[in-house]
Amino acid sequence: MANPLAEGLGLRRKPDPCALVVFGASGDLTKRKLFPALYALAYRGLLPDRFAVVGVARTEQPTRQFLTGMRAAVKQYARDPFRSDVFESLAEGVRYVATEFDDDSGEDRVGEALEDCDRTRGTAGNRLHYLAVPPQAFPTVVREIGERREREGWARVIVEKPFGHDLASARELSAMVQRWFREDEVFRIDHYLGKETVQNLMALRFANGIFEPIWNRQMVDHVQITVAESMGIEGRAGYYDRAGAIRDIFQNHLLQLLALTAMEPPIDFTADAVRNEKVKVLRAMHTPGPKSVVRGQYGRGWVEGEEVPAYREEPGVDPSSMTETYVAAKLYVDNWRWADTPFYVRAGKRLARRETTIAIQFKRAPHPPFEAIAGEGLRPNVLLIHVQPDEGVSLAIGAKVPGAGMQIRTVHMDFLYGGAFRESVPEAYERLILDAMLGDATLFTREDEVEEQWKLVDAVVGAWGRDRPTFPNYPAGSWGPSRSDELVHRDGRSWRRH
Amino acid sequence: MGVVAEIERKLARKRCREEADGVPELRTSTMTHLVWAPPEWVGAAKRVLAGLAERHPSRTIILVPLPGSRTGVEARATIRDFELPGGREVLSEVIELRLCGEAASHPASVVLPLLISDLPAFCRWRGRPAWDSPALAEIVEVCDRLVVDSSEWSGVPAAYADLAHLFPRTAVSDIAWRRTLPWRASLAARWPGIRSVERLTVEGPRADASLLVGWLRSRLRHEVALTRRSADIVSAVRVDGDPVDPPVGKAPSGSDLLSAELDTLTRDPVYEAAARAAVA
Repeated sequence: MANPLAEGLGLRRKPDPCALVVFGASGDLTKRKLFPALYALAYRGLLPDRFAVVGVARTEQPTRQFLTGMRAAVKQYARDPFRSDVFESLAEGVRYVATEFDDDSGEDRVGEALEDCDRTRGTAGNRLHYLAVPPQAFPTVVREIGERREREGWARVIVEKPFGHDLASARELSAMVQRWFREDEVFRIDHYLGKETVQNLMALRFANGIFEPIWNRQMVDHVQITVAESMGIEGRAGYYDRAGAIRDIFQNHLLQLLALTAMEPPIDFTADAVRNEKVKVLRAMHTPGPKSVVRGQYGRGWVEGEEVPAYREEPGVDPSSMTETYVAAKLYVDNWRWADTPFYVRAGKRLARRETTIAIQFKRAPHPPFEAIAGEGLRPNVLLIHVQPDEGVSLAIGAKVPGAGMQIRTVHMDFLYGGAFRESVPEAYERLILDAMLGDATLFTREDEVEEQWKLVDAVVGAWGRDRPTFPNYPAGSWGPSRSDELVHRDGRSWRRH
Repeated sequence: MGVVAEIERKLARKRCREEADGVPELRTSTMTHLVWAPPEWVGAAKRVLAGLAERHPSRTIILVPLPGSRTGVEARATIRDFELPGGREVLSEVIELRLCGEAASHPASVVLPLLISDLPAFCRWRGRPAWDSPALAEIVEVCDRLVVDSSEWSGVPAAYADLAHLFPRTAVSDIAWRRTLPWRASLAARWPGIRSVERLTVEGPRADASLLVGWLRSRLRHEVALTRRSADIVSAVRVDGDPVDPPVGKAPSGSDLLSAELDTLTRDPVYEAAARAAVA
């Protein structure tokens, strides 16, 4: 019989007892994101009652020293005020194991630490493995944890992007992971999906009846998706010079945003229903021809009042590197809803400002009687979804300027997340770690999604092999190469004004 | 000029003044928040509102009934601004209306034109309502949710029978009920052992104790006796003599409790059943 006293208490489902095993625990991701997220979950009482963390990394240090670093990280990066009692309750369950990932004796010690967690923390053999390691270490770590998988309890694995380097390597990695883990045990993280505003995109589309009739090729002129960063590569030359903008941002964040914007309503908000719809969009996408893709690399320039070096001058970057730090493309989703509607997407580093937005630009009114007198002021309606910063939604509409005559100006109606909801917005990693503990994969990418994303990227990269652009081709602090503007101007359109 | 037009004009003027400081302003509202506060409750109501700070951007209308004075409405309107990250400010409006003489019996005539269209209206009613008063009847008609605190009343638990008459007309929440939530969670954690409880012993306010036992009676569908010892807050609960683990953490403030109620939009059938059963 169900507990009748539980009804109406608004209790959230708590995850099963478990141990979170973080591979790469001494790295930046753990310090900046994972541990502050765990602290935020502990702060709100959302972690399982019986919980432990086993940090695994190469850096030699005792658990005490690891915790000192994590305490400082929580103080610096957590969104909540530091409370010793919360941190200590989390710290009690933390163990740190220093080892090379392919060292059997080290892995034995990880196993011993986990057994100790089961014994002393009651984690019941449940394991959530977080691979915060460089992509080249994935196979080794997955093999180690797969071979040591225990019979008791559940085992899940969270894999950070990028999942593979191309379609072939992604498939190879999937096949390897699937030797030990079922698809529903694999959580491929794309932290954009954990962002409140990205989830709000689904709320906006599917909880508001007014948008459905206009969310299509009849009413939408085109869509622009921008993932712009003002920072450079922040010491990640080793990774970035191999990946470039297309693998770092386009393959995952950008295509995910596009899929969420274009997908059909799912029948419910379960993992497979949502992901089925996203896959349909990815499958419906045309491979863009060479003229529909622009790549760029930043040269020296000024960003926020500071002179910054060119990409090729960044520490660790090959001075003749041909890696792109900017990519823009015109994409088409060839289905009933979106046929012939261009999706202009762009992502880049060292751009004029940090901004992630989705702009739905609607077609102009068929016969605006004011056009002759509106001048430059009257622009098409744009529904702008701000993913970051200034999370929210704004709608650009035409309004009459007060006074004699009929002058029309474009004004913005704003919904700002922080203005309407004063709760601080949770960090993406909080939501994603909690969901993985609960076994809910809705906000994680599925194998077939990843493969579709790689198919598109491989086709674009394949075409790049046939030419050699002149790099650098845009100054740091600008909005990218001039060819990117031409890509949009050719269609009689322009990138949004900033 | 009527009082409503005068309020709107004052607010518009103050908004203009705020906008002149060069910081982009954002007018965001999630509701109209009415506060029915007889003079003896005005101080407490304002303290809770101050603690609520900017958590619920809204138009707040404080209604102060002064039935013994000459009929009329005195209005004060102020704008409060709260800084947001990114150099913007959110504006909230606070309107204080002193409803004098007969106007105290007809609050809807002033409230209705001031409600923000299409957004929910909550009314926090301070003190015990006069159940048959026209003022209560009018407020119940205009608000989507009536928030009371039955620990502010005398005559509990019998007064829950009067409150129950309002349930079909508007959603009702009770701060006293919200305050018992951690104890209810502790009691629920005793399932299934608690299924056959016969006696609940509570050290705490009468309202909180009555609602706890009403809740057990209604959920478990059998009689549960109540023994109560007086205390300012619920400090101990026993099930058939067996102590229940007290909730951990700091007790929420009055502002926190009200804030939680302002996030709830629908009727609460569990509370309604508990309040009805508390009378039995």
